[in-house]
Amino acid sequence: MSTRAPLTRFRGVLLGALVFVAALAIWEAWARSAESFYFPPVSEIGREALDVWPSADFLTAVGASVKRLAAGYAIGATAGVSIGLAMGSSRRVRSTLGPTTEFLRALPVIAVVPIAISLLDDGDTMRIAVIAFGVFFPVLVATVAGVCGVPPEIRDTAALFHLGKVERTIRVYLPAALPTIFAGLRTALSIGLVLVVIAEFTGTGDGLGVYIWTQRFLFDVQAMYAGILFLGLLGYVLNGLLLVLERRVLAWHYGAIGEPVH
Amino acid sequence: MSPSTEKAVLRVAGLGKRYSSDGPPALTDVTFDVAQGELLAIVGPSGCGKTTLLRIMCGLLPSSEGTVLLDGRPVSRPSGEVALVFQDYSRSLFPWLNVRRNVTFPLARDGLSRAERAARAEAALSEVGLEGDGSKYPWQLSGGMQQRVAIARALVSRPAVVFLDEPFASVDALTRAELQDLLLSIHAHAEDGGTTIVHVTHDVDEAVYLADRVLMLTPSPGTVAASVEVGLPRPRNQTATRSSLRFLDLRNEVHDVIVQARR
Amino acid sequence: MAERVGRDSQARVLREHGLLRRANIAGVLFALAFLLVAEACVRLFDLSDSVAAPADTAGALFEGISDGSLAGEVETTLVTYVQGLALAAVIGVLLGIAIGSSRTVESASSVVIEFLRPIPAVALIPLAIFWFGLGTPMLRFLVAYAAVWPILVHTVYGVRGVDRVLHDVAATSGVTGAARITRVSVPAALPSIATGIRISAALALAVCVTGEYFVGTEGIGHYMQDHAAAYRLPELYAAAALTGLLGLAIDVALRSAERRVLFWAGEERVRPR
Repeated sequence: MSTRAPLTRFRGVLLGALVFVAALAIWEAWARSAESFYFPPVSEIGREALDVWPSADFLTAVGASVKRLAAGYAIGATAGVSIGLAMGSSRRVRSTLGPTTEFLRALPVIAVVPIAISLLDDGDTMRIAVIAFGVFFPVLVATVAGVCGVPPEIRDTAALFHLGKVERTIRVYLPAALPTIFAGLRTALSIGLVLVVIAEFTGTGDGLGVYIWTQRFLFDVQAMYAGILFLGLLGYVLNGLLLVLERRVLAWHYGAIGEPVH
Repeated sequence: MSPSTEKAVLRVAGLGKRYSSDGPPALTDVTFDVAQGELLAIVGPSGCGKTTLLRIMCGLLPSSEGTVLLDGRPVSRPSGEVALVFQDYSRSLFPWLNVRRNVTFPLARDGLSRAERAARAEAALSEVGLEGDGSKYPWQLSGGMQQRVAIARALVSRPAVVFLDEPFASVDALTRAELQDLLLSIHAHAEDGGTTIVHVTHDVDEAVYLADRVLMLTPSPGTVAASVEVGLPRPRNQTATRSSLRFLDLRNEVHDVIVQARR
Repeated sequence: MAERVGRDSQARVLREHGLLRRANIAGVLFALAFLLVAEACVRLFDLSDSVAAPADTAGALFEGISDGSLAGEVETTLVTYVQGLALAAVIGVLLGIAIGSSRTVESASSVVIEFLRPIPAVALIPLAIFWFGLGTPMLRFLVAYAAVWPILVHTVYGVRGVDRVLHDVAATSGVTGAARITRVSVPAALPSIATGIRISAALALAVCVTGEYFVGTEGIGHYMQDHAAAYRLPELYAAAALTGLLGLAIDVALRSAERRVLFWAGEERVRPR
């Protein structure tokens, strides 16, 4: 995509924006005429959003969700990379832990929520635990795949340099696997975001998910749209931040293969 | 395969390798010595086990029978005393490190100071003609230059033996000639009688051009079909040496042995 | 040839899941040890109020299946799931082909897609309830919405990534335009599309069960919510475990089907040490 001339690209973005605006216009026109409760016109949603988003309550709720996400993500990702490195570099570890992790990975995360509640009670700890659990697996899978995908020449070179297993894993396998690990980190971020919301759908405490869920009972459709849109925006921004970090850390990789497509 | 009068750095005796108990062996009864400072070429058609043999000699692969002795000690696992240059340079250099750090990487555990490591790296890089390229990353270099970095990295820790696995097969013909001559100059330069090199290739001309001695392997099960002393004078030259009668005789001899062994 | 590939592929697929009959003894032992330790902890520390012991879970699973209560829900879930997934596949592949083959379509849809993509499917649950009410249509929508993204992305990736050389071959053979898309681009993109479907399949099951949990009147998710509310933990865990097994089975099935149909696709895999 980035190989196109700047003018063509600009025209492309313009076209996309036009289509988007056209879609919004159609929605607006139809919503006004149909006067459906569940499909408020875009303008009303926009107004509501501009009202709600900057409000202190809303921002506090968002802050709470983001904090939980950060904590759960940090725990899950660290665990995922560490265990992933161990599993990736040793066939024995991989086959021993393999079946158990494969099975746990296949559990639907929604199932984890009630289990977490019964273990930890409905609160912050439960939510962070759920997020960590959900973030752990994509990071684990990506790390294992990254390490297993290290070219044999690099493995052999590291072996011939007579490095110990641990040193080899950290100094060679980890950097070599980083591009793949980052892909997993990005996936895990999306999953983490989803989990924050699901965990908060239980309704207690505060958070963006709680906000969205509560609107259902208040029948405040516009507010619900506003909340969901903000969630999308939040996801976009967080993803963007992660991409910035990735480009920094993996400058060597992008030099070799060109810019990433996210 | 007369016993050499110089010290034998590498001794391979009765080496055999079987990948599965009911299949044919990959290697069988391979025996030869490599003298200190010798440049030995190993030739054979694809599938004759050249790479397997190489990996066993490096300690990356265990043998099923026989022994490999490096400086008198048996080789059973990678020891940090030998170096290996791969055919696919783009996959053997660490892409996250620049050239200088790639080259100094093997020195991390040798207890050298930073200044010493940098000095050795610079020396290795100038030996391969890449002084001044230390800050570049592998992907910024051409194929031939990347392979030079790989060679520099192999040399920097002053290994007992440098193994090369079809190192010039992935570059174009002109670059190949340059790299061949580079290898010859490295072989000639080093202190204490020259660098010991084991060069695996499928290119008969290259083998004869480079080597002191050429070993021919048969196709599976791989064993030593014959070995030929290359008495060509050094320094060698792409035009003069390759057009000499002696060269042509030798390469035909090697070629014939290999074609025979194929049947 | 496909016959042998079929058998090979099954073995390979099982091996990939660490389940090869040449006994991944260590793996099985570890899993068993894990369960035994869990069982012991629950019994010794009398945690059965907060955690279901593996033995109880197994019991509940067995009962749920034999008396049909859980088994029936599985069927319900699977039907909705497959419907949603099929819908997503059709939309995702068609749209993906369009976007992948035409820069114009790609540009036109880019902003809309970038806008919708970050919105997680489950976040739409409350909204979807408003739109479709409680029940199957809402779940079908949810599953389709969640599943369409990986399929779309992988289809675009596959179509775009078709080797330039193949395009040139098509052009010199006089195959252009729509014909080229159906005869060259799509088949060449199939491996990528297959991966997208597999990823979506796993995702869609989780989303389906999640949706059922919050609002369903039937299905595995509802079963879980029911028993969770009544604090019947073994049944809850059993349903979760069953979903996990279901997900694994679907993945294995898809992978072997993929290998069989796409036997011609090269193996990119590096054998792990």
